[in-house]
Parts: sequence; C-alpha cells; structure tokens
Amino acid sequence: MLRMRRTVAMAVVAALAFSGFVGAQEGPVLIGASIPLTGGVAMFGQHSRWGAELAIAEANAKGGVLGRKLEMDFQDNRCNPAEAVKSVTQMLAEKKYVAIFDGLCSSAALAIMPLVERAGIPFVVANASATSIAERSGVGGNKWTFKVNPTDGSMLDALVTWLDKDGKAGSIAFLGEDTDFGRAGSSGLEAALKKRNRKLATVDFFQKGTADFTPVFTKIKAQKPGLLALYAVDADFQNAIRQWYSMGGGVPLTGRVLVDQVPKEIMDSGFLDGTTSVQPYDPSVDTPGNRAFVEAFRKAHNVPPILVSFESYEATKVLIDAIRRAGSANPAAIRDALATTKLPSMLGTTIEFDDHNLAHNNAIILTIKGGKVLVLGMSKT
Amino acid sequence: MDLSFCLQLLLNGIVIGVIYALVAMGLSLIFGVLEIVNFAHGEFYMLGAMLAYFLTMNARLGYWPTILVVTAVAVGLGYVLYEALLGSLQGEGFERSILLTLGLSMVLQNGAVFVFTTTPKMMQTRYSYSNVSLGDLRVPVMRLLALGLGLLAFGALYLILYRTRVGKAMRGVAQNRDAALMVGIDPRAVSRLAVAIGVGLSGLAGAALAPVYAVHPLMGFSFVFKAFAIIIIGGLGNVAGAAIAAVGLGVLESFVGGFFPLVMVDALAFTSMIAILLLRPQGLFGRGVRV
Repeated sequence: MLRMRRTVAMAVVAALAFSGFVGAQEGPVLIGASIPLTGGVAMFGQHSRWGAELAIAEANAKGGVLGRKLEMDFQDNRCNPAEAVKSVTQMLAEKKYVAIFDGLCSSAALAIMPLVERAGIPFVVANASATSIAERSGVGGNKWTFKVNPTDGSMLDALVTWLDKDGKAGSIAFLGEDTDFGRAGSSGLEAALKKRNRKLATVDFFQKGTADFTPVFTKIKAQKPGLLALYAVDADFQNAIRQWYSMGGGVPLTGRVLVDQVPKEIMDSGFLDGTTSVQPYDPSVDTPGNRAFVEAFRKAHNVPPILVSFESYEATKVLIDAIRRAGSANPAAIRDALATTKLPSMLGTTIEFDDHNLAHNNAIILTIKGGKVLVLGMSKT
Repeated sequence: MDLSFCLQLLLNGIVIGVIYALVAMGLSLIFGVLEIVNFAHGEFYMLGAMLAYFLTMNARLGYWPTILVVTAVAVGLGYVLYEALLGSLQGEGFERSILLTLGLSMVLQNGAVFVFTTTPKMMQTRYSYSNVSLGDLRVPVMRLLALGLGLLAFGALYLILYRTRVGKAMRGVAQNRDAALMVGIDPRAVSRLAVAIGVGLSGLAGAALAPVYAVHPLMGFSFVFKAFAIIIIGGLGNVAGAAIAAVGLGVLESFVGGFFPLVMVDALAFTSMIAILLLRPQGLFGRGVRV
C-alpha cells in the first residue's frame, strides 16, 4: 500500500514537473530588466520601461518571436550597483530569462557585467553611457555585453569637433553630478579637448539631490568662461536650470544639456539661445521611423519620449531582432545573433556592433535659437 | 574676487539659511517638547510642496491663498499625527519613536512616488521668473518671498513661545514634564500643539519653496538630514538656536561653495555637527533648558 502511494506520488510529481516544463517552453520569452524604478532617477527608469514596453508590444502585435509572446520583467536597482547586483543575481537564479536588459545607470551596468559573463547570458545596455562599458566588452573582454547607445567619449568628441569648428572650444567650464554620468562627461570632454591641445577651464561636481546651486553659479559667473558644460539630470537639472536663469546666466551652456526638459517659460524667453548640446536622440529628428515612434509613445503615455525612452525602445528592438534571428531562446545563440546585428536605426544609420560590442549610431548636435531647439546636424559617433 | 561677488554669496547664504531654519525650527520644537526625533519631518515638507503645486497648477489658487491653505492643512496633519501615532509614545522608549517616524517617512515617501510619480514638477507663479536686482546683485523674487515667510514664521514662533501663556506652557513641558503636570499644565495638549506647529512650519516651508526648487517625492529626505545636523549644532530642542545655526550654516555653505569645490558643501553640515559634538556637546546655544 505504502509502495503504491509512493508510486502514485512520484507519478504526480513527474506529471507536474513535465507539465511545468511544457508550460515553460510554451510560455512567453522572458527578458529580465534591471532599472531604477525608485530613487533619484526613477523618472528615467519609468521612461526606459515605457520605451521597452512599446517595442515589446509592437513585436507581440506582430505575433511575438519564435511563435511565443515576449515579456519583460522589471526589477528595481535604484541606480545603485549593489541593488543592481541583487536584482540581476535573483533573476539569473531563476534561469527563465533569455537576456538581461539595460541597468540604465553606468555604475549599475558595470556591476551587472561580471554576473552575465559568469552566467553566460546576453546583456543589452540601452542607456548607460560610460565609455568603460565598451572598453571592457567584446574582444579581450566581456563577450556577453552589447552596448547599443553611444559612449560619452564618442559623443563628446563629436561635440568638441563641432564647437572647435566655430572656435568655441577654448574656454569650457564643467559642472556635473558626482556620479559615473558626470565623471564620464568630465573625462570625455577632457579627452576630446586634449586631442586639440586644450583643457577644461574649471571642473566642479555636485552631489545628486543638491537643491541649491547658487554658490557654484555665482563662482562660475565670476570666472567668466566661454561655455558651461552642464551634466545634470532629473530634479537636479530642473533646479540648476531655473537657478541659472534667475541668476541671469551670461555663459552659454553646452555638454549633455537636456534641452527637452527645460521649462517652457525659460525656453520661450530666449535665455538659452546659443546653447549647444550633444544627445543620442531628440524627438524632433525628422525621419519616418522617429515620427511613428513619437506618435505611438505620445498615444500610450500622453507625454513625448525622451532620450531614455528612445534608447530603450531601440535597444529592445535590437534584442528582439537577435532572438528572432537566433531561432531559439538559447542565450548563446542570442549572443551570436546580437554580434551580427544589422538593424536600421530611426536615426538613419544601421546598428552594427564593433569588436567591442559597441554600436555607432548618430549623435544629434542641437542648438537653441529664438527659444526653439534646432537640430544642427547628426554626427556619427 | 570683488565685493559684489562676496555680497552675492552672503545674500544667497542668508536666503538658503532662512529656508533651512523653516524646516529645522519645527523639528527642534517637536524634539524639545516631546523628545521625539521626527524622521518623517522632511516628508511633511515634501507633502507641503506637493500640495502647493497642485493647488496652484491644478486648482489655480493664487500664491498667498496656497500658502495659507497648505499651512492650515499641515497644522491639521500635525494634530492627526500626534493623535494617531506620537501620542501613544508618551513615556515610551526613544527607539520606538525613531522606528515609528522612520517607517512613517518611508510610507509617505513611497506613497507619494506611487501617487505623484517621481517626475519633478516646477510650480509656476507670476513671479517665478522675476528677479530683484541691485547693481550686480540679483535675487529671485520667489526666494525673497521665502525669506520673508521664514522671518515671519520665526517672529510668530518667538512670540508664541515667549509672549503667550501657551508658549510658557510649552517651555514648561519641555523643561520638566512632571513639574508642568503638577502645576496644572496638560502635557498632552501642549505636545499636540507643538507637533501641529512643527508640522505646520514644515508644510509652510514646502509651500514657500515649491516655486524655488523642483517638487518631487524625494525632496524631503536630504533636507531633513541637514536639519538634524542644524538642530544638534544649535542645541537640541532650542528653537532659536536652531534658527541661528541654520542661517550660519547657509552663509558658510555659500562661501565654501563659492571659493572651494562644491562637493565640500555637503560635508559641511555634518563636519560642523561632529566638531560641535566634540567641543560643546550641548550645542552652540544649548543650556540644558529647551525651547
């Protein structure tokens, strides 16, 4: 009797395990994302999520991939490397994800890289801009990490080339947040200027969450540099730009100025005229692909996309394309397919990865004239 | 560096110092009367700013009515906070109050993230982009108004504490709760009022600063830690000491930011706090007598 019970129990367990296995094969193709959903840059996390979800929704509307639906699970990393490691370790332990997505912040992405290498699972970086991510990937490095967006170094080189052409690269003061983003901006600018035998006039960093910029702006105004490179995002950018305005500015801005997030009143006043910014994206880029993206994004969320939404959207499309071409949900096959990516970008180039698994999309050089953002041109990174 | 540069730094420092004082005075008052460190204090500042944003931008209420409504709502919230949570801590452990207010802070902060999202919001008023200029010196009108409100609040609080019977009762409870009870003062009523005024000041600070700084759910967190350093520097529970320490710190931060790397500014409050704790543990203005 006891043996019979055991046999029945084992049969039930085997049946459940088998049905679970079948379910897993027939269930959605899962991608794990680690992005900041709370904390100081949660707004960017939200846009990253919206961008990725839009790409997934479009793919699913066309039947998904490998005959299955696509799904992306989002875990919060608070833009903190330790939280990023925790969230990705948890996802990798579950062994149900075919790839890991984004990280968003450079320090988080850098912390995720060794984990995906050990686990043998592709990692697609959409937004983190630190040059070191590409330097450590591909040949002689991490073969599982693919960076779709340009590095700070390549974008700033494009910007300084542009500024130097107009003789404006001579005296640039730098003010940036004390994070990998700000530090990469400072070192990228220094490297680009060094190539031209120039250097930054002054360098200053601030802690994220700084509310008051009046002391440093008073100092910068007194130093009278030719340009001020501002590396601030989210609430810091809003505070900085408003305080810069109320202090009368007087020095044109440059660097990665988030021109799409400047308050309308300040923009309309013409106060920021003469600003030159380099960005991986601007919603006003006039290509059919971008027009459709902006319209779909607005329809879904009632706000225009920002560069984070764009980068996550396009990077997710790169990943979906690789899964489709891999013909299986096997991570190694997806990695090999990623390496041979040739996907048209909304910015007019073809996304292809170099030996360091870095794509070289166009960077957008923007200026502000008459209170309007104008695309000065696109420069390949 | 010329004189106008130094004057601009001084002016900036005084304005930011008075802004710090608005938050720190409420915190100091609550500690003085209840001996509770209110870790949720920054969240009431954030909620005040959020409410001010919605009243002006969505309900189209003017700046001054918004200030009044937000302050009144914050005072009401203070009453509720005392009755619902802090009142039950009377005579209980200090640790419980820390855990309770820290938990409340997390609930309020994450609740605000859930309801309002983390997108920073900019409150606009008709003076948002106006400045007062005097030669090379420039001060935004909204900062001057925040400065005025801060000074007004300090004056009002001083009058309440030192010129009214209820203020005398508050100081009595702060100095010796049992003795105050023996002479017929109701410590519970006094504590309730102290929390209401403290939270009201925090709400007022939020409303006054909503047109100055970006409004978002995490804005209170960093502010309140600086306020803790200020009340320790000023002397725990000493409201006037907190106000003076706040203005002093604001001016010091402005000059350090103006002459040295900006990253040094953030360390200043806590470095000063450590130095004060080593040299004068009761704080600059602490005399063992609170409020």
